[in-house]
Amino acid sequence: MDSLKEDLKKQIIEQLNLEDLTVADIADDALLFNDQGLGLDSIDALELIVLLEKYHGIQLTNPEEGKEAFRSIDTMAEYIRKRKAA
Amino acid sequence: MNKAALYITAASTVSHQPTFGNPGFSSTLGPIVADNALISPDYKAYIDPGLLRRMSKILRMAVACSKDCIAQAEIEQPDAIVVGTGLGCLHDTEKFLNTSLTVDGLLPPTSFIQSTHNTMAGQISLSIGNHGYNMTHTQNTLSFEHALLDASMLLREGDRHVLVGAADEHIDILEDIAAQLSFEAPARLTSGASFFVLSKENRGNAAAILTDVHTTGGIENAEAEIDAFLIRNGLNASDVDLVFHAGEPVQGVKGNVPYLPLSGVYATASAFALHYAVDSLQTNASLKNVLICNALRKSNLGLILLQSVEA
Repeated sequence: MDSLKEDLKKQIIEQLNLEDLTVADIADDALLFNDQGLGLDSIDALELIVLLEKYHGIQLTNPEEGKEAFRSIDTMAEYIRKRKAA
Repeated sequence: MNKAALYITAASTVSHQPTFGNPGFSSTLGPIVADNALISPDYKAYIDPGLLRRMSKILRMAVACSKDCIAQAEIEQPDAIVVGTGLGCLHDTEKFLNTSLTVDGLLPPTSFIQSTHNTMAGQISLSIGNHGYNMTHTQNTLSFEHALLDASMLLREGDRHVLVGAADEHIDILEDIAAQLSFEAPARLTSGASFFVLSKENRGNAAAILTDVHTTGGIENAEAEIDAFLIRNGLNASDVDLVFHAGEPVQGVKGNVPYLPLSGVYATASAFALHYAVDSLQTNASLKNVLICNALRKSNLGLILLQSVEA
């Protein structure tokens, strides 16, 4: 189990108050902003930017980067690893 | 001058007592103790899950009580929404401020949006799709009474039904602040929400008549103020069957009930007392005139006079 992805799921559940979800309910490749996935909205996107800085020390300032990074747990984890390695 | 009667046609409260959706609760109340939790309804029955997850406790309580009131009053929409709150949405305010201390960039939008005092009135209107007058009053321990005064004026100016209520929420830092200010609370500091529909007409569903509301700040002689208020309404102390009070009991009336041990202490606990009084009037036919005397803060006095519908 990838601990970064596990942590991200826990952080998303807490930051977005997804009370009815558990870590096991969120698939790594589920689309975060799609009704078939988590069904998040534009306010949640801003909350995810806060989450990246609060838990991972990463400031996301380019909206285009966000669009790709916030597709799924997989892409978020990849984005965090890339930024930390840079 | 005699004012036209105003009717309380719905009441709903979330508190430590079994108040929500439970008419007749007034005969079953007992003092709250340290480990009593708030008795909350199933919020999912009242609030869309997408909205619910973003709402703090105070918003959930306010919206659920409001929707319950609208259902009880059997109205489609109130003409106005008026809310009183002493300290507003403290949980979101604390969350926003704490994040601003640790994060340099973007701050959390949800807690920012929901940290303002008028979030409750706004969320209620969004939840029921109301486009009418929307107002929030914050006047320390007299916030609820000011909301009631506003609602009364709206009805006397032509509105038919006004949703009026109050809520406050507890966060842990209040205990520290109370200790630093050497404030000895007469009961446990806590949260609560009470909402009502105030109507111009009795369509056979009125629970009580709201006779008068009065507030005074910088009080020096509360007794004289209460006497003057009663005389203004054609009553003497001996005509008052029951007083629900925060602060000193009222002399010369038939009975006094302190409500803070039942509600706990929060800035708008007098709204709990109003629901308690309305329920008492409905369940005890011997009660005709009931007074709520709010001196939670000694220098502020809030008075609400109720009459039974049958009186």
